[in-house]
Parts: sequence; structure tokens; C-alpha cells
Amino acid sequence: MIEIEGLVKRFGSHTAVDGLTLTVASGEIFGFLGPNGAGKTTTVKCITGLLKPTAGRVRVAGFDTATQTLDAKRAMGLVPDEPFVYPKLTGVEYLRFVGELYGVPLAAMKPRIPELLEMFELAPWGGELVESYSHGMRQKLVLAGILLHDPKVLVLDEPMVGLDPKSARLVKDIFLTLAERGTTIFMCTHVLEIAEKLCDRIGIMIGGKMIACGTVPELEAQAKTRGSDLEGIFLSLTGGAEYSALLRYL
Amino acid sequence: MLDLLLRRRARSLVNTLGACTPYEWARNSAFAAAGAGLLCGLHVGLYRVLVYLSSVELIGALLVWKLTAMLFLMTLSMVTVSSLLTSLTTLFYAYDLKFLMKAPVSLRVVFLDKSLESAFFASWMIGLVLLPFVLALMRVLHLGAAFFLSFAAVLPAFLLLAASFGIAFTLLLLYLFPSSRTRDVVWVLSSLSMTVMYGLVRFAQPERLIRPDALKIVAEYLNFLQAPTAPALPSWWLARALESAAAGRWGAWALDAARLWGAALLVYAALVWLAGAAYFTGYSGAQEGALRKRTHGFAVLPEQRLLGAGRRSALLWKERVTFLRDVKHWSQMLLILGLVFVYLFSIRRLPHNAPEFWSLIAFLNVGTAGFVISALGLRFTFPSVSLEGRGWWILKSSPLTVSQIMRQKFVFSVFPTVAVALALGAMTTSFIGADRFTTWISVGALLAVSVVLCGMGIGLGALFPRFTVENIHQIESSVGGFVYMAASLCYIGATLSILAWPMRMHFLAMMGSPRAWDWTAAAVAAVSWTILSAAAFAVPWTLGRRSLENHEE
Repeated sequence: MIEIEGLVKRFGSHTAVDGLTLTVASGEIFGFLGPNGAGKTTTVKCITGLLKPTAGRVRVAGFDTATQTLDAKRAMGLVPDEPFVYPKLTGVEYLRFVGELYGVPLAAMKPRIPELLEMFELAPWGGELVESYSHGMRQKLVLAGILLHDPKVLVLDEPMVGLDPKSARLVKDIFLTLAERGTTIFMCTHVLEIAEKLCDRIGIMIGGKMIACGTVPELEAQAKTRGSDLEGIFLSLTGGAEYSALLRYL
Repeated sequence: MLDLLLRRRARSLVNTLGACTPYEWARNSAFAAAGAGLLCGLHVGLYRVLVYLSSVELIGALLVWKLTAMLFLMTLSMVTVSSLLTSLTTLFYAYDLKFLMKAPVSLRVVFLDKSLESAFFASWMIGLVLLPFVLALMRVLHLGAAFFLSFAAVLPAFLLLAASFGIAFTLLLLYLFPSSRTRDVVWVLSSLSMTVMYGLVRFAQPERLIRPDALKIVAEYLNFLQAPTAPALPSWWLARALESAAAGRWGAWALDAARLWGAALLVYAALVWLAGAAYFTGYSGAQEGALRKRTHGFAVLPEQRLLGAGRRSALLWKERVTFLRDVKHWSQMLLILGLVFVYLFSIRRLPHNAPEFWSLIAFLNVGTAGFVISALGLRFTFPSVSLEGRGWWILKSSPLTVSQIMRQKFVFSVFPTVAVALALGAMTTSFIGADRFTTWISVGALLAVSVVLCGMGIGLGALFPRFTVENIHQIESSVGGFVYMAASLCYIGATLSILAWPMRMHFLAMMGSPRAWDWTAAAVAAVSWTILSAAAFAVPWTLGRRSLENHEE
């Protein structure tokens, strides 16, 4: 599970995350929404240890990310917003490298890596250098990488970007299966439809603060928008009326 | 449209300067001052050489202008090769090309924007280094501001022409062979040509210029001096233009200036015209990845056989595989190999006058070979952290500490560096025929220097990481690269100063002086050097580790 207490992250005078407190339970899929620049990616980076929080505490799978950093990282799998992978490794070699970093035994990797490549339809390109992969292929490779070491917590920043419809469906099914098995999933996304269908709870962030959090009906109550879908709720909470003048201009 | 593209560059520059904090201003000013200091040092050295050459009876002026022509010829070739490498990145692989190529901008305008950028980055530093030479020339020949203006008026044309040759070669090559494999071939070929060029310049023995006795007969020497240096090339036009300006023959200067500007504009215009037909074919082909299937048999990795299973072995394996597959590293290795060969050649060509002199040279060799090792570090060790690039998240989010990552990078760098240091130390002392004490002290010092410089390179590389650069040269020529070179040279200088104590005692003993050895002084020297080396390793390492742990990008 993920426990965040009073998380603050400042860049100079700008506060990107402002006192975020949140708990995501085991087996829960949590969707993190917000407009661009709301502080979602900064939160992901603080959870995964890519950024040092200015204040507050983050615990992942029971480990404090500040004091038990390596244990926390070992329990996590990250899909970043941009899937940059070593261009001079092949797909298979990248997965082998990730497996070695996370201590996956060779005997387990040997059948598992071809299976994962097959599952993501990357098997024909497994022996090619990553530099020849498209964005979607790299995204699938990174997803395969986090599944290799079977983490307790998945932190995903826009995991569906660049995926074809078939792969997107596969990834959704994988997340649901993993959550059923007890994996905690924290997912940032701009695709409201996916968040609505997939997530148990959703948090909406603006200007570094979480302004609403809960199930879709709970969010509906918070936004006071009866009968709206998540898009309506999101726009009501984050503001959308100002676009009407622009739309008339267009 | 070109003015819009150029305005965006100006705006970016203004924004960058505007966003600088007082600390960054102070830091950049300090580095600028250090750079100016280096140029001043170069000016003093060149001035002394020119004073010596001009004082040679009868042929002094000939020698000065011969050196000028040779220097310009070297500048021409360096800018050409440098633009070949720079244009490959800026014209075909720059980050903003995807945006520019799909924008409603003419292909020729994109080419103009990118080729001017290539020409600028390929030539500004080399052009700047000409400045201390020209100022020294003005002091020696008592020339005024008019001479300097005449130089400033023709220099841009000369540099543009030199850069255009490199850009044209890259453009044509990628047009004829539009694939990413061509990029690899260009990298290796251009580095090979740079190495060969460097070797040719050295093996031509330019020292003959100041040693007439090295040539068989005086007539041959005079012919060598009077003959134009590559008369068909722009470097000779520039040298001749300056010679005319120095003599006040302004008509002749104007003719050569017109020739330089005319040729530069003509060649560049032809290039822009050619780009309309050739640029897109090359750009499109360059985007294709190199398709070549590699099989991975899931065997135990070679590193695991040596170090056992675990993250350490996996990191070393990743370092090795990604390093050897990147042709940019091959090209760097070729350049370093050229540097090492030329260095060994130069040592072998040294006049052997007296045994004490040989031993002194063997000791001073610690400094010069140390410089070679520090250049090696700048190319391979220092960029090692930055070369993780945008894939840094993989290691940073994995269960590894920054110390573990740095240690593996150190291990990967230190063995080849120590091997080169050992080869340089052993071969040079053997060529020189140094005595046993000097051999031990210089080889031992070189080994320690190579280990310390590796630690310093990794540490400073971690202190100044640049994960988002387009090519390795941007890492080397960054502020961090400059700090590394300055710190490594200071360390080598301090090493020489400290080890000079025992060496002095050894020379005195060789000359038969009784009580030459003061053991207290020798012990102080040994302890001081150990402390210096430990600090030169540990301080950058610790600063780099802390900085990288808190790095935010």
C-alpha cells in the first residue's frame, strides 16, 4: 500500500505539491487526475524516489521512502511519463537488465521474458535495439519490465499513452488481475474514461492540492453535479466554463 | 521565416540569461575569467615563439608567416572535421527537427537555420583560439588596429567556408546513403581522418621550422619556407591576406578578402541550393533505426562469472554492451589512440644528450602522460554518468544507491585507464632509458594519477550531470568538463611539485653529492602526496554523490 502524509515539494518559490495526504490500500487502483502542471508527475517522482520531498512522508509497502529507500524501491514498479530506455540494448537485454537489478533469478527470467514479450506482441522485435522501437513499443517494453519482478506497488504515469487499442485493453486487464491479487496501483492519467472504468477511487489535483477524492459517486456529490460522468465532474471541479468564449471564437 | 527562427534563438538566449541566479552569474563569470586566463597564457606562449622566430637572422619574417600559414591550415582542417561531426547531429538528429520538419517552413530555411548553427558551434572555439595568436603577431610585428580589423573582416568568411566543406560532405553522404548506419560510418571516418590529420601534422616534424640543421641543405630549407602552404586552400588566402595587410598592401588584401568572401558565399549558396533536393532524403533515412537482430541466450553473463550474480555484474554488463555498441565511443577511441601514438613518437624523437636529462624527461613525463590520461578521462570517464541520459530514471528508481552506481562506473573506467597509464609509463621510460628509481617513481605516480583521475572524473561527472544533451561533445565542453580538466591539471601539477623533492635528492645522489637524501623530507613528500591524492579522489566523489542523490531534472 501507499501512505502519503503532508507531502510538500517546492522548486524555488513554486510549490508543486502542497501538503498532499493520501492512502492507497492493497489491491486498490487509484486514479490521479488533474490539469497539466497540477503536480501529478511531481507526486509520482516523490513516491518513486526520483525527487526528494521538501516535507512530508511517503511509505510504500510499509517502507519509508526516506529511510528505507532501497526496500521501498524493490517493492515498486514505475512507468514514467516518457518511456526512455537504453537505445543500445535490445528488448530482451533490457528486460534481463531490469530482472538482474531487481534480483529476479535467471531460472525465472528465462521463461518469463519471452512470455512477456509474446504477451505484448514484442517477440518479433525482442532481438532489435531499442533505438529502432516506436514510442508505443517502448511503452510496452517498460510495462513488461515492471511485470517481470512482480512488485507489490505499481506507480504509473500515463501508462496508456502510445498504446494501440488491443494493447490498451490488455494492459487494463493486467491491472485488474494484479489488483485482484493484492497489488496496489497508483495511476496518473488524462484519459477520464479509463479512470472511470478502471479505478476504485479517484483523486483530483489542482495547483499542488488535492481538491477532491473518492469513488465516482462520492466525487459527484463533492462536485454537486448530479447524473454527470467523470468528465462532467472533472470539468466542474477544475473549471471549464471559461472555454465557452474561446469555442465561440473558433 | 529565417528571421523568425533566428529570433527564437535570440529569445532563448535572453531567457536563459534572464533566468540565471546570482550564483550562476558568479559561477559563469568565474569560468569565463578562467577561460580568458587560459587564452592569455596561450598568448604569452605564442608571443615567445613568434619573438624567437622573428629574431632569426635573414629568414625571421619568412618563419613567422610560414607558421601563420601552417596554423591556418590546421584551423581549416579542424573546423571542417568538427563541422562534419556537428552537422551530423544538428542537421539530422536535433530534438527540434521533428517540430521544424512538420511546420510550414521551407526545407531550405530549416537547412539555413541548422547549418548556421552547425557552422557556429564547429568554429567558434577554434576561431577564438586564433585571437591570442593574431594579437601576438601584432605585438611582434608592431601592427596597429587596422591589421586587427583586416583580420576580423575576413575571419568569418574563412570559418564559414571551412565549416561548409564539412556540412557539404555530411549532406551528400546522407543523401547517397540515407540510413542511420551512414551516421555511424561518418562518426568513425571523421574521427579517423582527424586522427590521421593529427598524426600527419606531427610526423611532418614541424620542429624543423626552428631547426634548420634538421634539413639536409640550406636551399631545401629555404624552399620549404618560401613555398606556399597548400596554395589552393582558403587557409593560404587568409595567410596571404594578413601578410598583405601587415605590409600595408591594401589592394592585395582586398583581392584575397574578396576571394574568401566570394568563395564562402558561393559555396554556402550552392549548399543551400543542394539542400532543397538532398536534405529531406538524408533526414528521412537517418531516422530509420539500424535493424539487426541479436540473440540473447540467457547464459550467465561474463561479468557474473568474474564477480558473481547480482546488481554489480549487471551494471558492468550494461556499461560494456552499451559502450561498445555506440560508435561515437569508437571514434573517441580512435582519437585517443592517435594522441597516444603521437605522444610516444614525440618522446622517441627527443634529443638524448645526457643521462640526467633523460631521467629528468622521464620524471616530467608524469605530467605530460598525466595530461593524456586526463584527456582520456574527459572523453570517457567524466561523461559516464551523463550518458545515462533520459534513461537515468531506470537506475534512480531501482533498488540501487547512487554510490553503487558510481562505484560500478568507476570500476568500468579504471581498468582501461590504468592499462593506458601503465603502457605510457613503461614505454616512455623504456624509450628514454631512465634509471630504475626514476622508472619506478614515474610509473608508480602515473598509476596512482590514473586511479585518482578516474575517481575525480566520476565524481565531477556526478556533480555536473547533463542528462538531456544531444551529443557527447556537449558534455565534454560543458562547465563540468572545464572544471574536470582544470582540477585534473592542478592535481597533476601538484603531484609533480611534490615528487620533485625526492627526484631532486635522487639527482644529487647521482651526481655524487654526499647526504643527498633527507629522509624526513622524503617522508613528508610521500605523506603530502598521499593526502593530496586521497583528497583529489574523495572530495569530488563525495560532492558528486551528494549532488546526484539530490539531483532534480
